[in-house]
Amino acid sequence: MDSKQLNILLADDDIDDCVFFKEALAELNIATKLTAVHDGEKLMKLLTSKTNVLPHILFLDLNMPRKNGFECLSEIKENEKLKGLPVAVFSTSYEQEVVNLLYKNGAQYFIRKPAEFVQFKKIILHTLTLIMQENISQPKKEDFVLTIQNS
Amino acid sequence: MAKNIKSDDNELILVRRELLFQNEEKEKLIAELIVARKELVFQKEEKGKRAAELGIANIELAFQGEEKGKRAAELGIANKELVFEDEEKEKRAAELSIANKELVFQNEEKEKRAAELSIANKELAFQNEEKEKRAAELSIANKELAFQNEEKEKRATELDIANKELVFQNEEKEKRATELGIANKELAFQNEEKEKRATELSIANKELAFQNEEKEKRAAELGIANIELAFQNEEKEKRAAELSIANKELAFQNEEKGKRAAELSIANKELLAFTYISSHDLQEPLRKIQTFATIILKKENDNLSDNGKYNFQRMQLAAERMQQLIDDLLAFSRIHTTELKFERNELSLIIEEVKAELKDTIQDKKATIEAVDLCPANIIAFQFRQLMYNLISNALKFSNPEIPSHIIITSRIVKGNTLAIDRLSPEKNYCHITVKDNGIGFEPHFSERIFEVFQQLHSKEVYTGTGIGLAIVKKIVENHNGIIVATGELNKGATFDIYFPSNFKE
Repeated sequence: MDSKQLNILLADDDIDDCVFFKEALAELNIATKLTAVHDGEKLMKLLTSKTNVLPHILFLDLNMPRKNGFECLSEIKENEKLKGLPVAVFSTSYEQEVVNLLYKNGAQYFIRKPAEFVQFKKIILHTLTLIMQENISQPKKEDFVLTIQNS
Repeated sequence: MAKNIKSDDNELILVRRELLFQNEEKEKLIAELIVARKELVFQKEEKGKRAAELGIANIELAFQGEEKGKRAAELGIANKELVFEDEEKEKRAAELSIANKELVFQNEEKEKRAAELSIANKELAFQNEEKEKRAAELSIANKELAFQNEEKEKRATELDIANKELVFQNEEKEKRATELGIANKELAFQNEEKEKRATELSIANKELAFQNEEKEKRAAELGIANIELAFQNEEKEKRAAELSIANKELAFQNEEKGKRAAELSIANKELLAFTYISSHDLQEPLRKIQTFATIILKKENDNLSDNGKYNFQRMQLAAERMQQLIDDLLAFSRIHTTELKFERNELSLIIEEVKAELKDTIQDKKATIEAVDLCPANIIAFQFRQLMYNLISNALKFSNPEIPSHIIITSRIVKGNTLAIDRLSPEKNYCHITVKDNGIGFEPHFSERIFEVFQQLHSKEVYTGTGIGLAIVKKIVENHNGIIVATGELNKGATFDIYFPSNFKE
C-alpha cells in the first residue's frame, strides 16, 4: 500500500479544522488524496453515489449540520457496501458515554482533537499508519481511543 | 212442723179433686138414666096405641068374623105374625126390664154413694174447716217463726261479720306482733351499730380535727403558691403572646425562605445547565487558539523576538489553564445535572476506562497502576469514572519525580462495625475502595482542606490544577451516601479511603 496513494475523506463543518487537517497532511511524508465535505447529507450522498470509489478511511466529526456524525455512522454500518469503511471519529470533547456509544455503533477509532498542532499532526500520522498496516477491523475497546505520546 | 202442715194440705187438695171427679161421673150417669126412662115411656105409649089399634082391629075382626073365616087363614098367619111380634116385644120388654132393674140398681148405688159422698163431703168440709183453722194457726205460727228466723239470720250475719272482723283484727295483731319483734331486733342491732359508729366517729373526728389543722396549714401554703402561680401564669401569657407573634414572624420567614429556596433551586439548575453548555462550546474556540498559537510558534519562530516568544508561551499556558478549568467545570456540572442512576458496575471496568484515558500521562510518569480484587458495586457509572479519574490523575500529578509512580487500587465489602468510623452505621455493609500512591504526599493537617473547592497546596507554576478535582471527588462520594478519608505524610505518599453503602455481601 505504501506505493499507492491513500484516499482520505474528511467530514467536518469547521473550516479551521479542515485547514489544520490539510496542513498536517501536507507536512506528512505520505501520498494522500484528501476529499472534504462539510455536512452529513453531503457525506452520505457522496458515499452512496455509483461512481464513487470508497476512501481508505473516513475522519468523521460529530457535530455537523443537517445530519450529525452519529446518524452518518449508523447509516454507514447498516449499509452492506459501506460497512467495511474504517471510520475515525474526530471530536473536540471527550465524554465516556459518547465514546462507548461510538464503539458500540462500529466506529474504528476515537480521536480527541489535540490543541497543539504538532500533536494534531502526530495523531493523524498514527491513524493513517494503522490503516496502512491494514488494521481495518474494529480494535479492542482499550485501543479504541487513539492518543499520542508527548515524547 | 211447717212441713207436716204442708203435706196435709196437699192430701186435702187431692181428696177434693177426687170427689169433684166422682161427682161429675155421677151427673153423667144420671143424665143417661133420664134419657133411658124417656125412651121407655115413649115405648109404653106406643104399646098402648098399638093395643088400641088391636082392639079396633078385633072389632074389625069380629065384624069381619065371617070374613075372618075367609080370611081366618090369613088372619091365622097374621096372628102368628103378631104373636111373634109380641114375643119379640116381650123379649125386648124383658130386656128393658132387666135394663131398668140394672138402672134402678145403679141409681140405688148412686144414691148410696151420693149419700156416702155427702157424708164424706161433710166430713171433708169439717176437716177442711179444721185444716183452715190449723192452717191459720200455722200461718200465724209460721209468720212468727219466719220473723224469728229473720231476726236470727240478721243476728247470725251480724255475728258472722263481727267474727270476720275479729279474725282479721287478730291476724293484724299477730302480724304487727311479729313485725314489732323484727323491728325490735333491728333496733337492737342498729343501736349496737350506732354505738360502734359513735366510737369510730369519735376517732374519726379526732383524725379530722388533726387533718383540718394540716389543711389549714397547707391552705396557707397553697395561698402563697397560688399567688406565685398567678404571677407566673401572667408571665407565661405574656411570653406566649410574644411567642405567638414570633411564630407568625417565623412562619412568614419560612414561607419566604421556601419561596427563595424554590427560586434558588430553579436558578441553580439554570446555572448548571448554562455552565455545561457554555463550557462545552468554549472548548472548541479555545482549542483553536492553542492550535494557531502552536502553528505560529513553529512556523514563525524565526520572526519572533525572544520577548515575543516568551509572551506566546505565557499565552499558551493561560490557554492550557483555561482548558483545564473548562474540563473541570464540565465535570463539576455533570455531577449536578445528571439524574442519579445507580446500577451494578464492575469497578475493574471503570478503572480500565480511566487508565485508557490517562494512557499518555501514565507513560510519561512511567507509572504502574495495580488494581486488584475489585468488586462490583451499585454506583452512578459516569460519576464514579470521574471520581477514579480524578484520584488517579491526582496521584500521577503529585508523583515523586525521583521514583516511578506506583498506584495501588483495592476494594472490598466490609461491615460497618469492623471499621471504627463514627459516621458509618455498624449494621450496614460498605464498599471500601482504597487508592494508595507513593507520591509526594501532604502534611497530615491538610487532610480535610484538600477536599475544599479551589484549595491548593502548591503553586500552579509547579503543579497545574484548578483546585476542583478533589472537591468533585468528595461530592461524588457524598452522592453515593459515602465518606472519603485522606491520610498522608509529606514525601511518603497519600492514601484515599472511600466507604459507601453496598448491598453486596462480603
